[in-house]
Amino acid sequence: MAVRINPNLIDDLEHYGAQDVSKCYQCGNCSAACPHSENPYVFPRKSMHQLQTGQEKPLRSSLDPWLCYYCGDCSTQCPRGAEPGETMMSLRRWLTAQYDFTGISRLLYRSWATELAAILIVALLTGAGFFALGIMHGGNIGVYDGENAFLPAHYIHIFDWTMGTTLGLLLLINCIRMWHFTMQSEGAPKVGLFLYLRYLMLLPVHFLTQERFRKCENKKPWALHLWLMLSYLTMLILIMFFLKYVQAGPEINWFAHGFGYLSAFGLVCVSILFLRGRIKKDAAYHRHSHESDWMFLALLIFVSVTGVLQHILHRVGLPMAANITYVVHLMGVVPMLGLEVPFSKWSHLAYRPLAVYFAQLLAAARAEHPVAVAQAAAPAD
Amino acid sequence: MSKPESTVNGKQPAAERIGVYLLSSNEASAVDLRAVAQFASGLASVAVVHTLAPSIQLNPEELAREFSREKLSSIVLAGERPGLHKGAFARALALAGGNGEKLRLASFAERCAAITTEGAKQMVADACAPANGVASVAAPPAAGASTTQPFNPVTLVIGGGVAGIQASLEIAESGNKVYLVERTGTVGGRMAMFDKTFPTLDCAACILTPKMVAVGQNKNIEILVLSEVQEVTGHRGAFKVKILKRATRVDASACVACGDCARFCPTTVSSEFDMGIATRKCVFMPFPQAVPNTYMIDAAHCQWVQSEGKKCGACAKKCAKNAIHLDAQDEMVELEVGNIIVATGYETFDAGRIERYGYGRYPNVLSSLEFERLTNASGPTGGKIVMKTKQLNKKTKQEEWVFQPDNPKPKAIAIVHCVGSRDQNHNSYCSRVCCMYSLKFAHLVREKCPDAICYEYYIDMRAYGKGYEEFFERVHEEGVHIVRGRSAMVEERGSQLCVKGEELVNNRLIELPVDMVLLSVGLQPSPGSGELAGKLGISRDKDGWFRELDYNAEPNCTGRPGIFVAGVCQGPKDIPDTVAQASAAASYVLSSIVAANSRKEPSHGGELSTGVLARS
Repeated sequence: MAVRINPNLIDDLEHYGAQDVSKCYQCGNCSAACPHSENPYVFPRKSMHQLQTGQEKPLRSSLDPWLCYYCGDCSTQCPRGAEPGETMMSLRRWLTAQYDFTGISRLLYRSWATELAAILIVALLTGAGFFALGIMHGGNIGVYDGENAFLPAHYIHIFDWTMGTTLGLLLLINCIRMWHFTMQSEGAPKVGLFLYLRYLMLLPVHFLTQERFRKCENKKPWALHLWLMLSYLTMLILIMFFLKYVQAGPEINWFAHGFGYLSAFGLVCVSILFLRGRIKKDAAYHRHSHESDWMFLALLIFVSVTGVLQHILHRVGLPMAANITYVVHLMGVVPMLGLEVPFSKWSHLAYRPLAVYFAQLLAAARAEHPVAVAQAAAPAD
Repeated sequence: MSKPESTVNGKQPAAERIGVYLLSSNEASAVDLRAVAQFASGLASVAVVHTLAPSIQLNPEELAREFSREKLSSIVLAGERPGLHKGAFARALALAGGNGEKLRLASFAERCAAITTEGAKQMVADACAPANGVASVAAPPAAGASTTQPFNPVTLVIGGGVAGIQASLEIAESGNKVYLVERTGTVGGRMAMFDKTFPTLDCAACILTPKMVAVGQNKNIEILVLSEVQEVTGHRGAFKVKILKRATRVDASACVACGDCARFCPTTVSSEFDMGIATRKCVFMPFPQAVPNTYMIDAAHCQWVQSEGKKCGACAKKCAKNAIHLDAQDEMVELEVGNIIVATGYETFDAGRIERYGYGRYPNVLSSLEFERLTNASGPTGGKIVMKTKQLNKKTKQEEWVFQPDNPKPKAIAIVHCVGSRDQNHNSYCSRVCCMYSLKFAHLVREKCPDAICYEYYIDMRAYGKGYEEFFERVHEEGVHIVRGRSAMVEERGSQLCVKGEELVNNRLIELPVDMVLLSVGLQPSPGSGELAGKLGISRDKDGWFRELDYNAEPNCTGRPGIFVAGVCQGPKDIPDTVAQASAAASYVLSSIVAANSRKEPSHGGELSTGVLARS
């Protein structure tokens, strides 16, 4: 059956950051230059072509954008300046919006004003909410931890567990949609349960190591990203499960604090390095920045810095300042997580490992039941 | 009537008063004419600037009165299609008693992109600039004299490739004299380097050498080799050109090309004619069919010349005909000509600028002209396609990669298109001939190495000419694998090279281990084109090719009357188009000579028919 063309697809993608796609004259240099591109997942040229011809459905079921780690070699070598690297990035944003069932992601990506407004509104609500909470349960704003603490750990936990579950559910639903689009698309082979189980380990392995990212020629982006991600994961675990040990003072629980300080250091350092990279635009992958890229970095830096600050204030014995800073910190955390995890950049924590997993499943299923494909007389395949 | 402000024997530069006329057009244009007018009025020597309404009816008499009133000495006519009004302006200039040659055109119509206001300003500035004195140093002739000033029927052709050769022959056949100035030691140019031509697979030398011989023997053609244009002054009909004629240090009339001198020459250098894949001695003939057919001394490497007579001198001693005069000196020659044809050809893109193709790193990665020399029977292997192998150079005690006739033949060859062309990182234009010569290479490989696999990687196949599509089919049928998808890189794999590319039709990455990679490099203007353009007072387009006056209607003329372009120096093209354009340039020249001759009887009061003047 023929694919229904969407002639406005390129214009639509411009909101997501795709520029100059029309310049591509399909020479294939990018695909050949890409260190990740390998049979049968050869990209980015095909994605450029699908975009140029408005093949919306095939693009929506494509895993290729998630297999790209934006080293930027394709864009550097492109003879037309068609920016295939940034186009793949835009496709990731677009796919994020496609997978999202609420439509919020689409709104946020297409209008940075909406995104900013959403962040501010959620931040204000969060701030008001936590102040109200602290006052309502009878906490003393001058007490940071222990008895009468303004925001004791167990209250925070109620909130963060609820939020975590909600965001997790939203993301899970979007992941199911991703599965549906990619694994159930027309022409996709049937994948048996056995294969799903056989390759299941790919998910945690790729989630934790970003193994494919390491295959880029330049290892630095992988290393920095891994550092950032592990720092964040550590911080998340500490806060969700060990908050009272991190809050508790004046004694220092060195175990919890050690991890806390390390991960805070990682968070601050890497996010500032990434910001610097985007400002200087030295690397090919930093030459273009969508508003969502800046927003994300701004939130991350804000949250990291206020997190460190409130802890310092607590340690030096300024509990009221610490509490206020803590609320400000939460005013960053809630919109950051609330927007980014299900609807924006952070959703890649799920989509990328899933993409690697699905790609393996599809390739394995195809290998089991090869479909006759018209092959060019290509030697040494 | 314009009078020079102060002249002494016509040698003092006349103070020019230029009238700039801007033609506005009916269609929407990106050019802000008012900005251009303002810019033009600020230029030196510009006396008046007028903007003419579109579709204006020009009255030459009125214009002539205006010219006289403003004492204009020359006119610049600028706009989208200035040629439309050229006749009227030229007539007006003549009526005003001025020199019809002092009309310069600046055409805004660009080939592809719409010209911007800045581009238009630059074109007007170029047209107004005296540019080494062309058309400004010569004193405007006195009233009424313009019609009887002798028009020099001698022509200068700059560049001795097939374009220069063709143009020279056309002009010489009519009985008019031609100076053919060539930078290297022989005429023939690039075509002499080729083995076969596409699409007919004719032997290039078989077509060219008869013409070269004809040029050498024609009494009306004087060839100056090892020569370069230094300075051009004057105007159409009366150019004065200074040529640096480097000494060959060999008396061509005495030399019988026996080759004894070369046998005893101790100095071996890389051969430019062979694109560096072979060597020659310091006393050499560029190739066996060179015209003039004489040996010459490479002064830059000659030990005798470099030591000022203290070392060597073996060739002169060994020459049985005493044809070698090592102490000969370069000369500055001054020529007087009426027309100039520029036919300076091209050079190829330096593939070393794209590192990932391995040119310069891997010995068996060749660029197109190198492969031409390899397959040519006068090349280092007598035309056999072989791989380079490592040999010990006994003299320098260094290991080198060289072509030797007994080297092993390649079993697999890859040809990569668009190297340096259609690439915004290098040359963004298409070089037009590379697809066809790549197919030609593939054919030669299949012919000379029938057991070899040949793969060709392209982006778009440009087979646009007569017989080209059929040639493409033929090469395809000969078993050449033609793959859509330009390759991205060449890597070393053991003793072989590996070409990595995407095969677009099936969206698969393919790697091909080969023995030799041919890079189809694009064409670029010859080195020194910029300086030559400056000396001649003509402009170049954004890619450095000499700018034609009107892309569609006058692709042979430049902005300067009397200076024409022919061949690749105006833009990449194949041999048939080059020859056609050369003949066209010759026809312009001959036409101007005929017109000038018919003017020897001046008609009433200096009035001239527009038909004749339109040919400027």
